Amino acid sequence: MARIKPKRHGVALDMTAMCDVTFLLLTFFIMTTQFKKPDVAQIKPPSSISEKLLPDASLMTVSVTPDGVFYFQPVDNGSEKIQLLDKMGEKYRMTFTNPEKAAFAKVEAIGVPMSQLKSYLNLPAEQQKAYKAKEGIPMDSTNKQLIDWVQQSLAVNPNYKLAIKGDVSTKYPKVKSLFEGLRDIDFLKFWLITSQEGKPGN
Amino acid sequence: MAEVQVKEDSGKGGKVRSKKHNPRVDMTPMVDLNFLMLMFFMFTTTFSKPNVMDLGLPAKPKKDQKQPDTEIKLSNSISVIIGKDNKVFYHQQDQAGLNDATLMETTFDREGIRKVIEQAKAGAADKDLFTVIIKPTDDAVYKNFVDILDEMAITKNERYGVTDIKPWELAIYKKKVGE
Repeated sequence: MARIKPKRHGVALDMTAMCDVTFLLLTFFIMTTQFKKPDVAQIKPPSSISEKLLPDASLMTVSVTPDGVFYFQPVDNGSEKIQLLDKMGEKYRMTFTNPEKAAFAKVEAIGVPMSQLKSYLNLPAEQQKAYKAKEGIPMDSTNKQLIDWVQQSLAVNPNYKLAIKGDVSTKYPKVKSLFEGLRDIDFLKFWLITSQEGKPGN
Repeated sequence: MAEVQVKEDSGKGGKVRSKKHNPRVDMTPMVDLNFLMLMFFMFTTTFSKPNVMDLGLPAKPKKDQKQPDTEIKLSNSISVIIGKDNKVFYHQQDQAGLNDATLMETTFDREGIRKVIEQAKAGAADKDLFTVIIKPTDDAVYKNFVDILDEMAITKNERYGVTDIKPWELAIYKKKVGE
């Protein structure tokens, strides 16, 4: 009896199905992905056991660098950002031209006092990126511009949420002045951005 | 792994037939590339979200509003003073009882402040009303503040407050750190 030789299969697999699946997943991830925005300054948030993730809600961010420089990041929404600038201009008796407003809509984070905002907005885009604020947004007992930014943002849209991103080595009095300012405008609930730390093993 | 093209040899010759193309396209490189991109997008999505910690501040009392009674019994509370160089002190005393010996120093790790808070809570007269009063000094850094809030979450202390350090506490603290 002749031995039945096993039929030799070709090594090529049909990859079509696999390709379909990967494309499906790829599409999903491309759609859902949100890229990390470039940081305004090197800030290392302190670690915490909190496992709550930063919500997607309309979020404005106050960043505090180790030197105590404040940055304000308005909610990324073109038209509302321009409204915010108008309101701030009203408060500080400044008017902004249309190109300045357009520039403001593109700016990621503000780190200059109101007095320098105009000249900052008139800089070309590359210089704006390279611009390093020395003093940031003023925030002390006499000049609470940072709080004004928060307050005017809330006036534009009261549903905005606030996150505070402080560095590990930021001095507490800086943070305290910010908290006190927020208490003054009765804005009492916000988030502190932290990095993940393992749960304590007990 | 492309398909091996078997040359058809009809042996008859003559008639030139249009060559039959294999309809199967090799998808392996495509799948490779897809997986690569998939990996990239998967990792960027999961890691770009930072964690957050809730913080609610007490409202400032209005001018015409009567200040609520904030006095807490000493045995039912513990004051935690955050000092410089990651130092942390605690006490359960009032102005008269606080001195160099009763202001204790501890550390931020598991054996330090967490034990202290748990012990103080165990010894509290009314455990539901046990309050931790956090008093950061001006020398404290933001990290210490977050660490303490973290300890509150770990020890499941719902009742805590952040206030300014009192002058008499500050004096003892300054003495303790040698200023």
